[in-house]
Amino acid sequence: MSAPPEEELPPNITVATRMATFFRGGGIIAPLITVLVAFLAGGLVVLATGHNPIETYSAIFKGTGFNWIFPWLSEDDRIIAALNLQQTLILTTPLILTGLAVAFAFRCGLFNIGGQGQYIIGSIFAVWVGSSFEGMPALLHVLVAMLAGIAMGAVWAGIAGLLKALAGTNEVISTIMLNWIAIWTGVWVFNLGSPLQNDNSDQVDVPVSNDVVEGAKLPVFWGDPQLQGLHLGIFVALAALVVFWVLLNRTTLGYEVRAVGFNPDAAEASGINVRRNYILVMAICGAFAGLGGALDLLGWQFRIATNDIQTHTLAFFGIAVALLGRNTAIGTLLGALLFAGLITGTSVRNLDPTVFEPQLATNLTYMIQGLVVLLISTDVLVVWLLGRRRKRRTAAVAA
Amino acid sequence: MTPKRIGWGAVALGFLAFFVAVPPLTVRSPIVVIVLAVAAMAAGSYAITAGEKRLGWGGIIAGLIGLAGGYAATQSGVENLERVVVWGALGAATLRYATPLIFGSLGGLFSERSGVINIGLEGMMLMGAFFGAWGADVTSSWLLGLVIAIAAGAAFGLIHALFAVTFRADQIVSGTALNLLAVGITGYLFVEIYGDLGTPDDLPSVPNVSLPIDWLPLLGDIFGELNLLVWLALAAVLMTWVFMFRTPMGLRLRSAGENPLAAETAGLNVVRTRYLAVMTSGGLAAMGGAFLSIGFLHTFTQNMTAGRGFIALAALIFGRWRPGLALAATLLFGFGSALAQRLPVFSPSGAVLFQALPYVLTLIAVTGLIGRSIPPLSLGRPLPRS
Amino acid sequence: MADAPALELRGITKRFGTLVANHAVDFELRRGEIHALLGENGAGKSTLMNVLYGLHQPDEGQILLNGEPVTIDSPRRAIGLGIGMVHQHFMLVPVMTVAENLVLGAEPRSGPLLDYKAAAARVRELSSKFGLAVDPDAKVQDIGVGTQQRVEILRALFRGAQVLVLDEPTAVLTPQEAQDLFVVLRRLTEEGTSIVFISHKLNEVLDIADRVTVLRRGEKIDTVPTEGATERSLAGLMVGREVLLRVEKPEQKVGEPLLELEHVSATDDRGLPAVNDVSLQVRAGEIVGLAGIDANGQSELIEAIMGLRTPTEGKITVAGHDVTHAGPRETLDAGVSHIAEDRHRRGLVLEFDLAENLCLREYKTPAFSSHGFLSPKKMVARARTLLKEFDVRGGEPETRAGSLSGGNQQKVVIARELSAAPKVIIAAQPTRGLDVGAIEFVHRRLVEERDAGKAVLLVSLELEEIRSLSDRVLVIYEGRIVAELPPESSEEDFGVYMTGGGRG
Repeated sequence: MSAPPEEELPPNITVATRMATFFRGGGIIAPLITVLVAFLAGGLVVLATGHNPIETYSAIFKGTGFNWIFPWLSEDDRIIAALNLQQTLILTTPLILTGLAVAFAFRCGLFNIGGQGQYIIGSIFAVWVGSSFEGMPALLHVLVAMLAGIAMGAVWAGIAGLLKALAGTNEVISTIMLNWIAIWTGVWVFNLGSPLQNDNSDQVDVPVSNDVVEGAKLPVFWGDPQLQGLHLGIFVALAALVVFWVLLNRTTLGYEVRAVGFNPDAAEASGINVRRNYILVMAICGAFAGLGGALDLLGWQFRIATNDIQTHTLAFFGIAVALLGRNTAIGTLLGALLFAGLITGTSVRNLDPTVFEPQLATNLTYMIQGLVVLLISTDVLVVWLLGRRRKRRTAAVAA
Repeated sequence: MTPKRIGWGAVALGFLAFFVAVPPLTVRSPIVVIVLAVAAMAAGSYAITAGEKRLGWGGIIAGLIGLAGGYAATQSGVENLERVVVWGALGAATLRYATPLIFGSLGGLFSERSGVINIGLEGMMLMGAFFGAWGADVTSSWLLGLVIAIAAGAAFGLIHALFAVTFRADQIVSGTALNLLAVGITGYLFVEIYGDLGTPDDLPSVPNVSLPIDWLPLLGDIFGELNLLVWLALAAVLMTWVFMFRTPMGLRLRSAGENPLAAETAGLNVVRTRYLAVMTSGGLAAMGGAFLSIGFLHTFTQNMTAGRGFIALAALIFGRWRPGLALAATLLFGFGSALAQRLPVFSPSGAVLFQALPYVLTLIAVTGLIGRSIPPLSLGRPLPRS
Repeated sequence: MADAPALELRGITKRFGTLVANHAVDFELRRGEIHALLGENGAGKSTLMNVLYGLHQPDEGQILLNGEPVTIDSPRRAIGLGIGMVHQHFMLVPVMTVAENLVLGAEPRSGPLLDYKAAAARVRELSSKFGLAVDPDAKVQDIGVGTQQRVEILRALFRGAQVLVLDEPTAVLTPQEAQDLFVVLRRLTEEGTSIVFISHKLNEVLDIADRVTVLRRGEKIDTVPTEGATERSLAGLMVGREVLLRVEKPEQKVGEPLLELEHVSATDDRGLPAVNDVSLQVRAGEIVGLAGIDANGQSELIEAIMGLRTPTEGKITVAGHDVTHAGPRETLDAGVSHIAEDRHRRGLVLEFDLAENLCLREYKTPAFSSHGFLSPKKMVARARTLLKEFDVRGGEPETRAGSLSGGNQQKVVIARELSAAPKVIIAAQPTRGLDVGAIEFVHRRLVEERDAGKAVLLVSLELEEIRSLSDRVLVIYEGRIVAELPPESSEEDFGVYMTGGGRG
């Protein structure tokens, strides 16, 4: 019985294997080209609806603040660029963390679409701790609030992990359901008459939480605190990247996670407890996402209104960030920067409405995000490259 | 009394614990509720020890829910109860809330039975919602709006098929991508075309079907004034069943999902079958979305599907990929939504929390009784190259 | 053209990447003949026929039907041209009935609906015409393998096949069923059907075929009439060299039983019984072979031993340690090593490098990690030692496992499993897909382990391998141990028990 040898992408592969194959086959070029194609397609949509894509994209670019590194910038422009860059970096923090929340799961073969819910739960507990315990020493207060976000985010995601381990529940559906449950719980808990609604006498009719006390806020180190400067959270996020890498590549847990992600059957046969890994991995992912929620809250939001919860979509970008970055640490960082720039550049504050309507631009960003994920799902480019390589080898053999 | 029967009996007892406390029975004594709930849990535990683990746990959970719900009902004022639990209105509302889910799960059925996972139902539904509204507006006809919606959904289905079948993409990732794309596309077009004002107030809407059955006690209230699309949804369930299990085309579609190689060797074009199935699934999901915008809420707002596509998928899995059972699941979820909508009547802030009810129910359903639900054998596996 | 051959393949070449499965193969089938295609595993027989059936496109060559060149780009086309194929792995849909499977693609209708009654009637009609008894309403997953094959054959005939290709049809049949099949085949040729019969069993080929074409490593060696040929002459063509039947084995020194199964039963993934009341013992210093036809419970038995499947009854003991309900971790720690039958599924993580793969069992031990942190240096050093000791070619410790050849991959698995100093070794299909050099290496190592006092349970589908390595042989059939035979017993003796005969 003659069977064809292992193809580059055999039928029953896990998502971790697929991404690793893409990484091997396409390196850093493929994601770059993917982004380019997505932007091109977005540009076509802009063109088709009667706007100028070049002007649009350059306006968006100015809004990102990445031009701050250009040495030829004028003094005035530099000040604006600095402000923009601060905003971009502020957004990079949660994007890194929600990206890690997805990437870590993908490494284990799991789909964590629940970043949004885990983020929200994290921020809810962070605001509760942050606005209580007045008088606690600053460093301790910040740490405890962050820990609350981490722990409860982990618990929220852990529910999905537990269900998968015990009952084999599909984590895509369970995490999405948990997203919506988190949203409605959040809306309820800050609503009129509910436990966490604010205690201010002049805000009785406003469904918003208490403010985080001064001592629990993350200090700003670049820019003006009054104008929402860049807070220390970015360093925590960068530290999280390192933790991610170390965890995955230097610990026994990471070894198990990668083994399960690549081949759960072989992992099981070698004595690895696959179910325990599912629970731990989901919990760690929730910890990342919950930390993201806590950092945003302690760094610049300082309070939660029910409106904020219902309009929050940031965490979904984590999926595109992780996939673009091939579920690696560096990749997640770069992907986070990219999307943070896009979101900042298209925000109402930064985008000149005469060039392009910000609300349109926001949806343009969603479209680009969707295209990126779509193109990555198969990475046609990589498959084509691999096919070319195979044909070259065959020709050499036949010669 | 097989363990299986006892397990199902446990589930039934749990439901009963809730139902005795609400109108028309409106039993006021918590004792009855507690007794029934405990009985449910006991029966469930027994079923577990007798080997029916999933069903047994389902019974225990049903008992707990029945206890919570029934007890809460006995503590509420009778007046409030009578305002909320109006079975006629509840029944009609259940059908209305279930309709997008029905279309969605039927769509999922076509796709998954042919072997392609369709996580993108949410996006296809959203596309249908927007294009149904826009189409009706632009053509001033609800019928054409519906047609445009179906076309939009099918187009999205085509993209999914292209990536999933021809490019052998990871089907869950590509489905997720479609959901993200749908949000972006519909949002973009909505802002571009309708800006701050939103969709017009006089958006053409799918008409209701008035049946002359007012005199029938309960059924008259439930079925008397339902939207055309609700009836279409129910008809679609029947037609899907006939198609899948009684026609040659259905046989071929199912074989493509069970053993595509066998289908190939029987001479079928599996690729074409899957493309058509996935496009059909997009069209059906879009009908569900169109119902939302031009049949139920008479407007379009960004991201208005709010996870319904996923609930539909859960209903499909819960229903073991069969139209009849999936319908039952959608009715259950629809009931949760209907109840959540009426509860604000007596507890405004609690009402917000109850919005989470359909999602909680879905979560429990997907976990609880799935167990032996066996999907089509080749679901999610890309076709090997030749 | 009346006297043109029914089918002719000229110069067929088919490559898969760097592997050349068929090279310039010529094949000619006369009308009404039974022509056997003979060769070892991997000789290219199935590929050639898959090209004929449109499942693969040839890189070079031509196909002629009745003298006319044709292009066959899909099974649809092949069926349309009157070519029917009965595959080794049945192309049936398990959850559907026999009738549904049979008419798939050519369903009788009544209006828009499927006319099931007509379909069932057709089945009965064909069934009696060709003498192949089947129940139209039975679900394929519920009927026996022999019956499934009959359904496959009927399916091909239903579509009017003039050329019928059978791929290793007797692999799953009892001797009696095989004889019944031969009767059917002869009847078919009388009705004008031409038959290609793929096999690697010499005695059958001599029994049923008129002519035989021998393939070896993708090349056609020769075509000879079966009249006048002998098993020896055919074997010579097939293999091309003296086959060493026996591995040199020193005198056996047997000790305590290290692996004991007492009345073990287990079910398969669908809940049906797969292992039925199996009791066996493997003692230190012996190799016990488990012979049997595929899918008779071997996989489930191994999974039960390794803790990947919980037995429904019975007791499993390893060196006195009860592992009946233990998971894989506990079983491995108790001193069992497992050379998995599917190295890509259970044996290796292809995306890991060799060093990581070699540590798959022991990554948590102090040798490679401390306080939860791995020590890559130690892993690489250990890998270097093992790779040398087991003569693994094609990679460094940092090489990705997936880029090694099958033989070297298997060596990595063996290196890992044997270096864990086990007491019991379960070797399942250890030489599947390996070339001769690798096979000899594996056989040698297993004998060395046995001499070192380990207990080896060898599970294999290759009877030759079992007979040459084992000290004792058990035969498994339908999940039961039906016989224990000395390895020198004849193939016929084994065959009888392996196919369920000889009991009582």
